[in-house]
Amino acid sequence: MTGPVRPSARVQLAAIFRKEVQQTVRDRRIMFMLVVAPLIQTVVFGFAVDFEVDRVPTLVVDADRSATSREDARRLLADGTLLSVGEESSAEAASAALDAGRASAALVFERRAEADRLSGRGQEVQVLLDGTDPNRTTVTSGAVSRFFSELGERLARERIEASGQTPPAQLRPIPRVAFNPGLATAPYMVPGIAAMLLVIVTTFTSAMGLAREREMGTLEQVLVTPIRPVHLLVGKMAPFVVIGLVVVTLLVGVGTWLFAIPIRGNLGLLLVGTLLYLLTTLGAGLLISTVSANQQQAFLGGFLFTIPAVLLSGLMTPILAMPGWLRPLTLLNPIRWYAEIMRGVLLRGAGFADLWLQFVVLLVIGVAIVAAATLRFQRRLG
Amino acid sequence: MQELHAARGEAAPEAGAGPALSARGLSRRFGEVTALDGLSFEVGRGELYGLVGPDGAGKTTAIRALAGLIRLDGGEARVLGLAADDHAVRERVGLMPQQFSLYRDLSVGENLRFFSRVFVLPREVYRRRAERLLEITRLAPFLDRRADALSGGMYKKLALACALLHEPEVLLLDEPTNGVDPVSRRELWALLHEFVHGGMTVLVSTPYMDEAERCGRVGLMNRGRLLLEGAPPALIAGFRDEAYEVRGGERDRVEAELARTPAVRAASPAGERLRIVVARGASAELARALAPLGATLAPVTPDFEDLFLSRIREEEA
Ligand SMILES: Nc1ncnc2c1ncn2[C@@H]1O[C@H](COP(=O)(O)OP(=O)(O)OP(=O)(O)O)[C@@H](O)[C@H]1O
Ligand SMILES: [Mg+2]
Repeated sequence: MTGPVRPSARVQLAAIFRKEVQQTVRDRRIMFMLVVAPLIQTVVFGFAVDFEVDRVPTLVVDADRSATSREDARRLLADGTLLSVGEESSAEAASAALDAGRASAALVFERRAEADRLSGRGQEVQVLLDGTDPNRTTVTSGAVSRFFSELGERLARERIEASGQTPPAQLRPIPRVAFNPGLATAPYMVPGIAAMLLVIVTTFTSAMGLAREREMGTLEQVLVTPIRPVHLLVGKMAPFVVIGLVVVTLLVGVGTWLFAIPIRGNLGLLLVGTLLYLLTTLGAGLLISTVSANQQQAFLGGFLFTIPAVLLSGLMTPILAMPGWLRPLTLLNPIRWYAEIMRGVLLRGAGFADLWLQFVVLLVIGVAIVAAATLRFQRRLG
Repeated sequence: MQELHAARGEAAPEAGAGPALSARGLSRRFGEVTALDGLSFEVGRGELYGLVGPDGAGKTTAIRALAGLIRLDGGEARVLGLAADDHAVRERVGLMPQQFSLYRDLSVGENLRFFSRVFVLPREVYRRRAERLLEITRLAPFLDRRADALSGGMYKKLALACALLHEPEVLLLDEPTNGVDPVSRRELWALLHEFVHGGMTVLVSTPYMDEAERCGRVGLMNRGRLLLEGAPPALIAGFRDEAYEVRGGERDRVEAELARTPAVRAASPAGERLRIVVARGASAELARALAPLGATLAPVTPDFEDLFLSRIREEEA
């Protein structure tokens, strides 16, 4: 007897995979969104998130017009953090210029500056700062303080030496920054940006994919075939895993080339981590689509997941700077773990022995999400 | 199509064959709307059963229930003796939904191949069946055309072909001729008769009364329930009301008079004239009422549409 052919999951999975690839490759916009857009964004963001502060536009108010005030201003402006954009006649005028946004800082030398210093009474230099960008303000005021404290120390030493005594020993901390000696922002930020773009792109495509089948009516035809829900879902995810791996490879390539990001560790390890990461992001998309009736709802769901996930990942705000009750939430956030894997492998040359926890956590989150999506996904239309 | 069935070999018809489809007290509400209200009917093996009813009667919901695609609030849907949502029945049932349900961005050939793979048909079997199906649906020249570029009729035929690839024992068709030209419609019905002749069980829903007459048995659905069921000739033979054509008279005033008369169960325009269904024995009085308006009654043979319109009106009164 030639009974009906036994359904074989492998053939069904391959059918869904092939169909998904055909549809995706045929849709130019989707391909653009999946591959080209993340590349462009990485490059743009990579340049945009440069947190190094330099060339802060600065005004000089030199009421003293003495040799020392001119020399102080010249040397202070010489190190590159501050950039002279002109002079003003008074502190009031400088303050108005700050209000108008023509400068972010102003150095004010009072009339008797030189005389005060020479007489040993002490000299005050006023620094006006635009506090809109706290990071920039901190760096600027730090640069000015450092300059004057070193100057003061030198003057004191000269004075002591002039009086024939031995000056006290200098105390100076010497930080040695490992892994990113130039403290460049890009090597730190670009892996984070890649993790962020990957979660956005893959969550949305997988959330919209199933919702589209529901909305277009194709789900009805597929649900009456002998395919099992888990195979349908896995088959739909698989092509995007491949695309995700390609995108990560491209992003790392671009990062190395444009932002001089080192590749200190094993790229294979990074791809395995990416695989686990994609399991969580695509799974989250599927979970969203199982609770959405149409593409619009899936789209909203995508936002409701990705935005908090990105904000609470430690990419934008350091996790230690978050309120205590919020911090445990980041433990469930795949972006956090993946960013750690990326930075670890690329910047520190970390191996599996260093990152096993991150891998295990991603695997657990991923399996849990896909399982939840499969359970939620009923073989039903309504 | 018989050839296709021969190719399957004797796929052991169930011993003690019960009905192919059985709906027992199906109920389902969508919010305020009661789509199914205790719907019961059975379709025997090898039968061509028509589910007829106006828009919103619940035909689609009933077919989805039998395909195991929706949750029921009550009742039981069984297919070939198994629960409708049993995984084991899926290889034995084919569904052609009412709305577009194939991949619009895939071609005719890609759609067929996709469904053959999901049904895990061996390549050889697929090739043989697809060739035959493309021939009888005359879609072969359009193999590479995208599904969304097909005409309404061609699309329906492709959907039918996709539903038939795995040679189901039971075929569920939801308004298969909706949006199809008369020629294609006739062809489609010819195909259905061929399938049934070959031993397939077919459940087809339609809002068209002339199509209902082509079924072995029909069930008239309204508001989620079955009002009437039987073989078309027997149903017409048992029709108690009479059908007339109203001739002459001023249309508005005649219609007002008809609307005022409870014995008039249904009135519908038939070209220049009105076709009405009147309760048996009430025609003489109606004729007297219409005379002053210059209208007369001419008896006609009642047809299916008269029967259904009259029953639905009766139900809603
Ligand atoms: N998913 C749903 N959500 C809300 N209401 C629904 C849903 N499906 C069906 N209904 C409602 O249930 C009723 C029966 O609908 P159904 O589609 O079964 O009728 P039908 O006989 O197939 O009509 P048509 O001839 O227009 O296709 C309608 O009032 C419809 O609006
Ligand atoms: Mg319908």
